[in-house]
Amino acid sequence: MSGFLAVYRREMLSLWVTPLAWVLLVVFLLLQGTIFYSIVVHFTGMADLAVETGPVEAYFGQESVFLLMTLLLVCPALTMRTFAEERRSGTIETLLTAPVTPSGVVLGKYLAVLSTYAAMWAPTVLYVVVLRKTGSVDWHAVGSSYLGLLGVGAAYLALGTLMSSMSKSQLIALLLAIFAEFGLFVLGVGEYVFEPGLLRDVCAHLSVGSQMEEMSRGIIDLRRLVFDASIAVASLYVTAKVVDSWRWG
Amino acid sequence: MIEAQHLTKDYGSIVAVKDVSFEVGKGEIVGFLGPNGAGKTTTLRMLAGFLGATAGRVKIAGFDVATQSLEARAHVGYMPEAAPLYPELRVREYLAFRAALKRVPRRARKAAVERSLEQAAVKDVADTPIGQLSKGYRQRVALADALVSSPPLLILDEPTAGLDPNQIVEVRKLVRELGGSHTILLSTHILPEVEAVCDRALVIAHGRLVAEGTLAELTAQKRTREIRLTVRGEAERLERALNGVAGLARVRSKAASTTPSVCELLLDVADDADPESTVERAVAALVAAGGGVRNVTPLRASLEAVFAELTAGDEPRPSGDAKASDA
Repeated sequence: MSGFLAVYRREMLSLWVTPLAWVLLVVFLLLQGTIFYSIVVHFTGMADLAVETGPVEAYFGQESVFLLMTLLLVCPALTMRTFAEERRSGTIETLLTAPVTPSGVVLGKYLAVLSTYAAMWAPTVLYVVVLRKTGSVDWHAVGSSYLGLLGVGAAYLALGTLMSSMSKSQLIALLLAIFAEFGLFVLGVGEYVFEPGLLRDVCAHLSVGSQMEEMSRGIIDLRRLVFDASIAVASLYVTAKVVDSWRWG
Repeated sequence: MIEAQHLTKDYGSIVAVKDVSFEVGKGEIVGFLGPNGAGKTTTLRMLAGFLGATAGRVKIAGFDVATQSLEARAHVGYMPEAAPLYPELRVREYLAFRAALKRVPRRARKAAVERSLEQAAVKDVADTPIGQLSKGYRQRVALADALVSSPPLLILDEPTAGLDPNQIVEVRKLVRELGGSHTILLSTHILPEVEAVCDRALVIAHGRLVAEGTLAELTAQKRTREIRLTVRGEAERLERALNGVAGLARVRSKAASTTPSVCELLLDVADDADPESTVERAVAALVAAGGGVRNVTPLRASLEAVFAELTAGDEPRPSGDAKASDA
C-alpha cells in the first residue's frame, strides 16, 4: 500500500488540470440532463397517473439503459490514461523506482478515477431536488440508486484500469475497456433473450440493468454489490500483478 | 553503497547484461562507461529496482534490491535516461508529489522541495508547468527529483544527454558538488565527462564489465606501445638502422618542422615484445648508427584509446564466428 496517498493526489491533480475530466464532465452532464428531461416530459404527458413509479425511479431503473450507455462511454475514457500514458511517456520508471508497492500505485490510481466518477454524478442530485418541489421523493430509493451506480462504476472503472495496464497506447486501452465493459453489459441483456433456464438465470444475475432496476426501487440485494465488488477486486488484483510483472519484461 | 554480484539480464535469447559484478563505496563518484547499447541502462535499471535481474543480486546500502526492495529504493535517487516527467504539473507540484512518494515526512516536505529546487538550480521555473520547460530545465527538474529525498546514493542515467555545452558544464559542476555528500553512479558514453567528474570508472561493453578502476589505472592498463623519439640525423638512415631491431612492429618518420637536421620517429612495439627492452635496443641501434637521440617519449594511452580497445575487443561478429553464438 506504500505510495497510495501520493499517487491518489497526483492522479486527481492530473485529471483535473487537464481538459479530460472537464470534457467528460460536460458530455456526461449534457447526456444525463437530456435523458432526465425526456423522462420527465414523458411522465407529464401521461394522462393516467396511476403508475407505480415516478420519473426518478424510471431514470435510475426501467430506463437505466440510457444511463448505462453513457457509462460505457465515460468510464473507459476516464481510465484509459491511468497506466498507458505512464508507460508511453516513461514516467512509470520514476514511479516504480520510488519506494512504492504495486498495490499502492494501482489503488491510488483507481480510487482517483472512482472519486472523479462520483464527482461527475454529484450534480445529478439536483434533478431530484428540483423534482421534489412538485411531488414527493423516496430518498431511500434515491440513495440505493446511487449506491447501485457506485457499484457499476466500481466494476467498470476497475476493468478499465486493468485494460490500461495492458497497452502503452491510450487508444488501445480505451477500446479494450469498451469491449470489456460492453461485454459485461451485453451479458445482462441475455436476460431478455434466452429461454427460461440456467443461461437466463446467470444473465439475470449479471445484469447491470436489473441491478439498477431493483436499486431504483430501494431494494438493496447484497449479491449485486458483491458481484460488482468481485469484478473490481479481481481486476485490481490482476492489474497489480501486471504492474509487478513489468520488472520482468 | 552498491554491491552487484553476477548481475545478468536476458530477454529471451538476447543477453543484455552478463555476469556483471562490481562495488561502489560510500562517497565515490563512479562513471559507468560504455558505447550505446552496451547494457548501461539495463544495469542501472536493475540497480534502481525497475528491472529484476535474471540472475545475480544487488545490494543498495546493505538492502537486497530483490527481497528488501522498498528499503533499497528508499536509499536511491534515480534519474532515468531522457528524464520522463508529467507535463501537466508545475515543477513545485511535481517535486512535492515525488517527496511524498519517497516518504519525506509531511512536515519536512516543503523544505525538501525548496532545497532540491535550489540544488538543481530550477527555482526560477518552480511555478511553470513542466510541459513548457526546455530540455535543459527538464533534465534539471529530473535531477531535483532525484535529490528531493536527500538519498545517500544517486544513480544518474546519462545526466548530460541532450544538453548544450554550457548546461553540460553546469551539470558536471553540480555532480561534483554533490559528490561530497552523496555516492554517485552516473552513466555516460562521453569520455571527457568521466575525466571531468569521476573518481573511478566501470567500463561495460556487449553486456560485460570489461574494465574497472581509477582513470589512472585504466589508462595504464593499456600498455604503452607507441614511442616517440626525437633524433638528430638523416631519417632514412635512422630508419634503416632500426630495421634489424627485434620487437619493433613499425617505424614511421617525419622531419621535425623546427630544425631540418632533426627528425621525429614513431615506433610501434610489437604486441608480444616488452616495450622497455625494445626501447633500449632501438636507442642503442640509433646511437650506433650515429643518430643523436634527444628525446624519448612513451606516448601515454589516452582514455579514448583505452575505451576503443576495451569495448571493441570482443565485438560479436554478424556471422561465421562460433564464439559469438554462446547462447
